[in-house]
Amino acid sequence: MTVRVMVVDDHPMWRTGVARDLAEAGYEVVATTGEGRQAVRIAGATRPDVVVLDLQLPDVPGVEVIHGLRAALPEVKVLMLSASGEQQSVLDAVKAGATGYLVKSAAPEEFLAAVARTAAGEAVFTPGLAGLVLGEYRRLAAAPEPADAGAPALTDRETEVLRLVAKGLSYKQIAERLGVSHRTVQNHVQNTLGKLQLHNRVELTRYAIEQGLD
Amino acid sequence: MIQATSAGGLQVPLWRAIVVYRFASLAFALALIVSNVGDYRRPLAAIPVAVVLIGWTVAASWLYARPQRRRWPLLIADLAVTAAVLLSAEWVIGRDALGSGTPGLAVAWLAAPVLAWAVAGGRRLGVVAALLIGVADLAVRPRLSQSSLTGTTLMLLAAVGVGHVARLGAIAEARLQRATELEAANRERERLARDIHDSVLQVLALVRRRGAHLDGEAGELARLAGEQEAALRRLIATGAPPPSATGVVDLGALVSAYASDVVSVAAPATAVPLPAEVATQVVAAVGAALDNAARHAGATARVFVLVEDEPESVTVTVRDDGAGIAPGRLAAAELEGRLGVAQAIRGRVTDLGGTVRIQSAPGQGTEIELVVPKLHP
Repeated sequence: MTVRVMVVDDHPMWRTGVARDLAEAGYEVVATTGEGRQAVRIAGATRPDVVVLDLQLPDVPGVEVIHGLRAALPEVKVLMLSASGEQQSVLDAVKAGATGYLVKSAAPEEFLAAVARTAAGEAVFTPGLAGLVLGEYRRLAAAPEPADAGAPALTDRETEVLRLVAKGLSYKQIAERLGVSHRTVQNHVQNTLGKLQLHNRVELTRYAIEQGLD
Repeated sequence: MIQATSAGGLQVPLWRAIVVYRFASLAFALALIVSNVGDYRRPLAAIPVAVVLIGWTVAASWLYARPQRRRWPLLIADLAVTAAVLLSAEWVIGRDALGSGTPGLAVAWLAAPVLAWAVAGGRRLGVVAALLIGVADLAVRPRLSQSSLTGTTLMLLAAVGVGHVARLGAIAEARLQRATELEAANRERERLARDIHDSVLQVLALVRRRGAHLDGEAGELARLAGEQEAALRRLIATGAPPPSATGVVDLGALVSAYASDVVSVAAPATAVPLPAEVATQVVAAVGAALDNAARHAGATARVFVLVEDEPESVTVTVRDDGAGIAPGRLAAAELEGRLGVAQAIRGRVTDLGGTVRIQSAPGQGTEIELVVPKLHP
């Protein structure tokens, strides 16, 4: 069964190029759009498996698009693309549920591999994203209120794996270095994201209850 | 000296005030002429003088209304007409009547050109005009009386005051203009950055993407496009923030400036605060490590920099995926001084109370880890 992909990017040339690459690689491009609101609107009807999302859209912030997409299609996987230098928005997008991140300057084969892994449910990390996630866990750990018992923490092994990803080692190299399987490395990386996303959902719910919005 | 060219938003009210003053003082002067005309030596001659007063009040108000006319010819004409009216008093009213206290023909009206000079040229021109008019006023008096001296003094003070206000207005206006220009330039820069991001950068990224796998000239063009894309991105990115008042800077932002096609920088999303002088040394050490990687790792090697903010220390790791060095060779190379750059890094970091760890294996690249303690004052 072919994987259904939606491309959301406000630049038409880029959109067309990416869509063509995806189609040539055997994906079914079910929709392309340049607007976040429209992406959320048509997601329900077009039912993509993977959304390739540019974080910088003219109408709404990327985080909101991700929230909207996941509300419409809880199972959808989001691979975000962005230019460099938007660290906080990348981190926010990951916490909102994006499972993959790639800089726009990535090579086409890198991009296609990332889409394939996102579709398979794997997390796609760049070294930059690993650094951001690592920093976020350290920030949570150093937060002045340890009363926040629900704050997620990394195991020693997860920290070790994330540091190696941030230093640019491939999963294969990490597996060799730590003497574990490729699959184990992948699970560790996945877990670091999962805990952060779960925590984010809990935080949002708690905030909503506190504000009387439940 | 004369800022007549300044269409002057802030000077407009001053010029309007002078027009009001001209008409008000004209009414006063005409009233005095009518009530005193019986004492004049040549009462009929008061008629043409009154006509000149009225005519010049209207003409001057009209002429001064246009900023480009507020130049020397008009200013001199204004002064000359006023002086002529003043001096004609001797012939119209007569010295005897003037001496026995009959007011002159222009009275308060004679201050109008003084105000005009002061607004056009500031304090100094205002004082010059006040002195000229004052001398003319005193010249027609048979003797110096206290009241005529008071009039001249008041005129001088008015000239200084109005000139000062006009100058302040001009300065404030210049500042406002500068601020407006700066803001416009800033907004233009932001607009350009947005435009470049939306257009040129996307196309460059596309060219690089399309041509990355091509050989020969096309591949070279794609590579060049990629380089320009990275350079443009750096150009339009807002630079690292300046040190705060407390001298603390964000090491993450400073190290991120090294990011390029071959250098990937990973750092926390939040600031990594360090004292500016410590951060400067760390950034220099990272620069040296990058130089080292560029020289020894091979042309195709990529470099990864990781900035970590730990509770007690800050760790920066510079790793290349180049050729690497065999375990035994590392210490030997360092002893031989072949890792001169590494020595320089050690020097800097040790001075900060930190440690340097160099790790390498053939085929696994070289990793230089700098750990700098956070100093708690």
